[in-house]
Amino acid sequence: MNEFHPTLLWAIPLLPLLGCLINMVAAFGAPERKTIPTLVGPSVVGIAFVIAVVNFVGMLGADLHAPVVERYFQWIAVGSLQIDAALQLDQLSIVMTLIITGVGFLIHVFSIGYMKADPGYARYFSYLNLFVFFMLVLVLGSSYPLMFVGWEGVGLCSYLLIGFWFKDREKADAGKKAFIVNRIGDVGFLIAMFMLFSNLGTLDFIPIFETAPATFAYGGAVVTAITLFFFIGAVGKSAQIPLYVWLPDAMAGPTPVSALIHAATMVTAGVYLVARSSVLFALAPVSQITVAGIGALTALFAATIGLVQTDIKKVLAYSTVSQLGYMFIGVGVGAFAAGIFHLMTHAFFKALLFLGSGAVIHAMHEALHHTHSHADAQDMRNMGGLKKYMPVTWVTMWIGTLAIAGIWPFAGFFSKDEIIWMAAAHAVGPFETWFRVVWVIALIAALLTAFYMTRLMVMTFHGENRTGERERGYLREVPPVMWVPLVVLAVLSVVGGWINVPEAIGHMPILGWIPHSEWLHEWLHPLTETADGIMLQNAGELAEQAPLGGGAGMWAAISFALATAVVVITASTLGRRRFLPADQAETPTGFLGVLYNKWYVDEIYDAIVVRPVLALSRFFARYIDRGVIDGLANGAGYASRAFGWVNSRVQTGLVNGYAFMIVLGALLLLAFMLG
Amino acid sequence: MQGLTIDFARQTDFVLALLPEIVLSVWGMLVLMVDVFQKGSRTGPSWRGLGWFTLVGLVLAAAANWWLGGLSEANLAGSIALDSFRIFSNFIFLASGAFFVLIADRYLDEERMLLGEIYALIIFATVGMMAFAGTRDLMIMFIALELMSVCVYVLTAANRRDPRGAEGGLKYFLLGAFASAFFLFGIALVYGATGTVNLAEIAATIGVDGIGASPLLLPAIALIAVGFAFKVSAVPFHMWTPDAYEGAPVPVTTFMAVGVKSAAFAAFVRVFLTAFPGVYDSWDVLAIWLAILTMVGANLTALVQGDVKRMLAYSSVAHAGYLLVGLAAANVLGAASVLFYLVVYVFMTAGSFAVLMVVAGQGEARTGLEWFSGLGWRAPVLGAAMTLFLLSLAGFPLTGGFVGKVFILRAAIDQGLIGLAVALVLASLISYYYYLRVAWYMWFREPDGEPLSLTVSPGTRVAIAAAAIGVLLLGIFPGVLLDAAERSAAALMHLPTMLGSN
Amino acid sequence: MLESIGYPGWALTALIVVPLIGMVAVLAGDEARAKHTALGFTLVNALLSLPLWFGFNAASGGMQFAVNAPWIPGWGIWYRLGVDGISVLLVLLLTMLMPLAVLGSYRYITRRERAFYANMLLLETGVVGAFMALDMFLFFVFFELMLVPMYFIIGIWGGERRVYAAIKFFLFTGVGSLLMLVGILYLFFKHRALTGDASFAYFDLLRVPLTFTEQYWLFGGFALAFLIKLPVFPFHTWLPDAHVEAPTPGSVLLASVLLKLGGYGFLRFLLPLFPHAATHPTIVGILMFLGIMGIIYCAWVAAVQPDAKKLIAYTSVSHMGFVVLGIFALTIQGAQGAMIVMLSHGLSTGAMFLLLGMLYERRHTRLIADFGGLAAVAPLMATAFIITAFASIGLPGTSGFIGEFLALLGTFQTHPWVAIIAATGVIFAAYYMLPMVQRIWFNRLDHPENERLPDLSRREIAVLAPLIAGMIWMGVYPKPFLDRTEQTLVQVLETVEIRTSPGMAALNVLPPAPQAADPGAAVQ
Repeated sequence: MNEFHPTLLWAIPLLPLLGCLINMVAAFGAPERKTIPTLVGPSVVGIAFVIAVVNFVGMLGADLHAPVVERYFQWIAVGSLQIDAALQLDQLSIVMTLIITGVGFLIHVFSIGYMKADPGYARYFSYLNLFVFFMLVLVLGSSYPLMFVGWEGVGLCSYLLIGFWFKDREKADAGKKAFIVNRIGDVGFLIAMFMLFSNLGTLDFIPIFETAPATFAYGGAVVTAITLFFFIGAVGKSAQIPLYVWLPDAMAGPTPVSALIHAATMVTAGVYLVARSSVLFALAPVSQITVAGIGALTALFAATIGLVQTDIKKVLAYSTVSQLGYMFIGVGVGAFAAGIFHLMTHAFFKALLFLGSGAVIHAMHEALHHTHSHADAQDMRNMGGLKKYMPVTWVTMWIGTLAIAGIWPFAGFFSKDEIIWMAAAHAVGPFETWFRVVWVIALIAALLTAFYMTRLMVMTFHGENRTGERERGYLREVPPVMWVPLVVLAVLSVVGGWINVPEAIGHMPILGWIPHSEWLHEWLHPLTETADGIMLQNAGELAEQAPLGGGAGMWAAISFALATAVVVITASTLGRRRFLPADQAETPTGFLGVLYNKWYVDEIYDAIVVRPVLALSRFFARYIDRGVIDGLANGAGYASRAFGWVNSRVQTGLVNGYAFMIVLGALLLLAFMLG
Repeated sequence: MQGLTIDFARQTDFVLALLPEIVLSVWGMLVLMVDVFQKGSRTGPSWRGLGWFTLVGLVLAAAANWWLGGLSEANLAGSIALDSFRIFSNFIFLASGAFFVLIADRYLDEERMLLGEIYALIIFATVGMMAFAGTRDLMIMFIALELMSVCVYVLTAANRRDPRGAEGGLKYFLLGAFASAFFLFGIALVYGATGTVNLAEIAATIGVDGIGASPLLLPAIALIAVGFAFKVSAVPFHMWTPDAYEGAPVPVTTFMAVGVKSAAFAAFVRVFLTAFPGVYDSWDVLAIWLAILTMVGANLTALVQGDVKRMLAYSSVAHAGYLLVGLAAANVLGAASVLFYLVVYVFMTAGSFAVLMVVAGQGEARTGLEWFSGLGWRAPVLGAAMTLFLLSLAGFPLTGGFVGKVFILRAAIDQGLIGLAVALVLASLISYYYYLRVAWYMWFREPDGEPLSLTVSPGTRVAIAAAAIGVLLLGIFPGVLLDAAERSAAALMHLPTMLGSN
Repeated sequence: MLESIGYPGWALTALIVVPLIGMVAVLAGDEARAKHTALGFTLVNALLSLPLWFGFNAASGGMQFAVNAPWIPGWGIWYRLGVDGISVLLVLLLTMLMPLAVLGSYRYITRRERAFYANMLLLETGVVGAFMALDMFLFFVFFELMLVPMYFIIGIWGGERRVYAAIKFFLFTGVGSLLMLVGILYLFFKHRALTGDASFAYFDLLRVPLTFTEQYWLFGGFALAFLIKLPVFPFHTWLPDAHVEAPTPGSVLLASVLLKLGGYGFLRFLLPLFPHAATHPTIVGILMFLGIMGIIYCAWVAAVQPDAKKLIAYTSVSHMGFVVLGIFALTIQGAQGAMIVMLSHGLSTGAMFLLLGMLYERRHTRLIADFGGLAAVAPLMATAFIITAFASIGLPGTSGFIGEFLALLGTFQTHPWVAIIAATGVIFAAYYMLPMVQRIWFNRLDHPENERLPDLSRREIAVLAPLIAGMIWMGVYPKPFLDRTEQTLVQVLETVEIRTSPGMAALNVLPPAPQAADPGAAVQ
């Protein structure tokens, strides 16, 4: 085992930044020329990926326990507060880096095709590069403040990319909404940092995680508060209840953006944050159950909405929210590796699904464009039977669907099943019962997932086409530059899960074909061991049995069977059903209507938060500021003028009056003297 | 040049002690004679150079006054004071006279007034002022007061074609006589209480802490205060001021504003700080309230004046209020601050009135605020000068007005009159508004209407220039004058100056 | 090298005098060349001030480049100048901004140019002097002096309600400073009574022992001046009017530099002179409350302003709230944060006003509703605006973040709840800024008159580029700034601590003189 030294670590984030600047110049210099962005945009991310791989291989070679930190310069140094601009390479950050640069690269490539007709081509790539830069800062930063830089930076890019087509009011609004909602979470992040600093006197990861167990009592108020505040940040960034509302709107952005930012990477930052702070969360059981509980609720809630959406991207958006819920269940129950595992597989298949939907929308758009039809290119009710026209997309998306639905041997099966099982296994310690509830919810949500994804596939690719007679002729498969990434991601969605096959499954019949290897667990072990130790010590051994009896293997089999059943049944039932095009279909009513309208959450927020704040602001502006405060100031002015006016009235010009005043004055002075 | 010592045991020494007054009186008669002889008939036009001739007299008197500085007095109770306080204030009066001459240059014959009489009256009024502030004898003081006042009454109505002048003059005369009566009655009571009219002796009988004060004394002080309050136009004895100032020709108004007020204050300080310090505890309230009433009342009333001449009248009342703060402090710094402020006050007031006169033009038709619209852009130098005077009146840094106010504030705070100091700054805050309003008419508005012709006579030019330079010098390098004022004040109160202790 | 030309001796004086010469030159020159002359002189001043940055000894918290010359010795009034960590960056901010402000007014100011640039230069003298004066009298002179040119700048070249705005500005700032004058004189009197020496020297008056009562009253007098200047809720209402009516360069200087005198006053005078008052729980509590009100209340008020310039004016108050918090948290992080907030606000808000001015030059309106979709026609301008906007709402990587982060972090150490409430200001910053950005630059371009909007000219780029560069620099590598301020701030906080320590509670002895400066820069 040889000593490990990172290679060109600094270049990983800086390359995308460089790309951003080059593309920015190109965007201003020659907006219509596409060569430079096409070359620079994807390649910088690609090279970053290569460097990441090199480092990864290096780390594989050296069994690394302590993280490697490269310090470049002092960033903020005030009194005892010392924050360096430093990158931290460890098992967790390299995994994230690989995902970001790898998936990111594929999506950049896909974008070449998807955005080729867009006037803002260069600008698009410069934003996308900038995003990758900030995302890498987020995961590679060696301290919370640095992480926060990336944290808000990606928020900025998300803002810019959601509102990329800024001429469209709704899109601009969506971007704004995303940023503001995220900022609510960011406040939590900030406060957590303040508390950390005032308790531990530092904000660097390594010292914090070293000193925390000794400093904070298990379940203590402080650490609970810290972790909960961090979780507020995570809730905002990762679109969990109650702050998930921005993510569905974020679909206003170009589809590759949704794939990269709002599925694969940025929205998982919250999960990364919790995993990164595993030590702190392990010390705060209340926070853990909160995380898991919120995750479970979100998983179920979002799934229910996903059931009835007709906009293909909206379905995927809610599915993302739901899947993020799963990740939080994972990191919440304390199975940090499992959470990261699902984060990874989800990055593969959700990116795949989004890009697939992007391909579909692209094709639909072309078709509708030819006939100048104004039908909605994203509405699944206008699709159907597309498999005939775009086979590659069809196949790859089915792979993604099976993966997310949790069908063996696809990636999602292993990651999701592990999370579900972990919820059961962690049903020990103070919040035993709660974890059981989480486990049940997770199971139910899994089935819903299987349903709405199958529905999506059926409505999009099966049955007869509803695009329209004339349009149909123009439906084409997308060019290779777009479908090649799909294929790559499809492969990953299949094999991605095999790196972490739990023992229980590995030794089962049939399912055991894929050999048992808990590689990811072992890989992340150096980071999670402290947390595991704390939990083991305070919460006790993991449960062997699920709440209803039965072990990991059995329940894996059950969930697999159920998921398969749901897929098959849904496919067959919906397959026979005839859908109407959007313009003829009537909107669902009753409970379905409630789901279709997303439980009216946006409306509720609007009523209880947005409008009151606006009203209050207007009140302050009009009545307090102009009215009271200025009123007092001006009032003083008027009063003195009035007094002066009265005085000048006394100035009658009559001598006897003046003489009288003199007498009065004289008496006054006498009074002063004698009184 | 610590030369000879004046001792009034020798009658001749009176001549020496009164040299400036004598020189000036003689010159006054000279002016009259020159006028009469050169124009022969009653109606003939006067000699244009008469003004400059008068100026020479003032300069000679100033020289004599300077020479007085070298003398020293044998006994500090002599009825003619030879302290530097008198000399210092004499310069102020002479300066006021000089400013009149400069401003009045050409104005008088444009308004077709009788030069000879007016110049002579100015000279005699000045003599009155010098005697008023320079004597230690209440009787002489009263005579001087009347000499000064009567001249000024006449001057107020000097423009016989202007009814406003006649009205103002009459009012001033009636009320002035009325107030003088109070003053005289006060003197009588003082005599009754102390058996003397000599300030030094009064102080001696009262004693340092007012042991020897008879019950008569306090009303006496109050009545004397009425007389002074009238002359310095303190609220509520100020009612005549706006009318008289507005009625009188601008140069006369200037002379009243700077000269009469200065003389009254100098005498006020001399009497109250040399004769009545023993009973300060009894009259401090009086001074404080006079000050507050005057500052607040005058400033508030000035707020609503649309006529610049009238506004400046009220402003001069307000400044009386500030000066009263110095008097109320009643310590060396207080007296000194009054002296210093008077100097500044002469410059900035004379300057602003001079500009006003230029703008007002023939027949003083254009004293309204609106006539200042865009003045700054039409006549930048004039506008800049006026702005400077206004800033100084408002008490802005780098102008004499600021240093003066700081001096007064310092005196008040040294005396522990923090509240009074705060009242002063708040009052001057009010004054910002109306001073700046003139500035905004001059600069914020574009020149509108027909471009009126502004003719500035050489004398007025000199006056404005001198005033501006004075205001700036006193604002930036006040050191010398500050020390001089403090020495004079110390001399007045026979106290060792605090200077040089640092 | 600097010593060889005696720079330390004349540097500060030059910074004061050069603009005055420039003023005379502008007035003497002809109308057409006025702007160039002014630009020249401000550039000269900027160059002259540069060595302050390099020559400043960050290791010393004392006064540097100090100058002493008698002015009115009889009253102990001296011409005492010096810069330390608190002032040096603010001075540089001013000298660096001046040329940009002048350049930024090239097209905005079309009439009475000579008078305008003369006032600008006089203003520079006043402000730079106030930052460097170490004699209370001198300080007050400069402090008041700057009102006059600002009054004329607003009143002559301002908008429709310019007279009201100018007077309001003058009276509001006047009331505070006049009470401060009484306070200064009281200190002077007290010092003289104790030592027999007349002196207005800052470092002398610093050693005047005061009873608690005196401290509270004097604190009140001084605090009012700076609270109004900063401004802090509820003394802020003069600012929106002044900003809206003032011409672009006026707003720029007002927001970027003049307001900073408030924060400067807190650090320079309130804390060291009246430590007991400044640390009294009630007083601190009140100030913290006002700071929070400023941050949140003014953010809300800003959010609903139809006038872009007014909106930014209110955001200034919101930003200054962080300054109050940071300073009165009495932690080094807080103080440093306050400093950076001031500098950062100087850059971002300055740039913001310049950009709004450029929009005004193009469209002669400041109403947000009159714009929309401009990013399509003026992408460069949009980019500059958006960068500035995000710097102003404290996006990490820009100066704004460093300041707010440090200020809040510092506040949290001593007043956790205040910091937690104030942190929500981060949300409301987005709440006021993003809608404006969207309604000006995004959405559909629905006003035909906006279709031909020209993008940034070379001159305008030259004006904005340095500011934006500054925001990013301070955000990415704030160390040089923090280093220069650290020592002085540490000393201020130590002084406060020492003087409020139980040992010093007996106030009948003169506390030890604070170490004045490095050799050669001995003050008093």
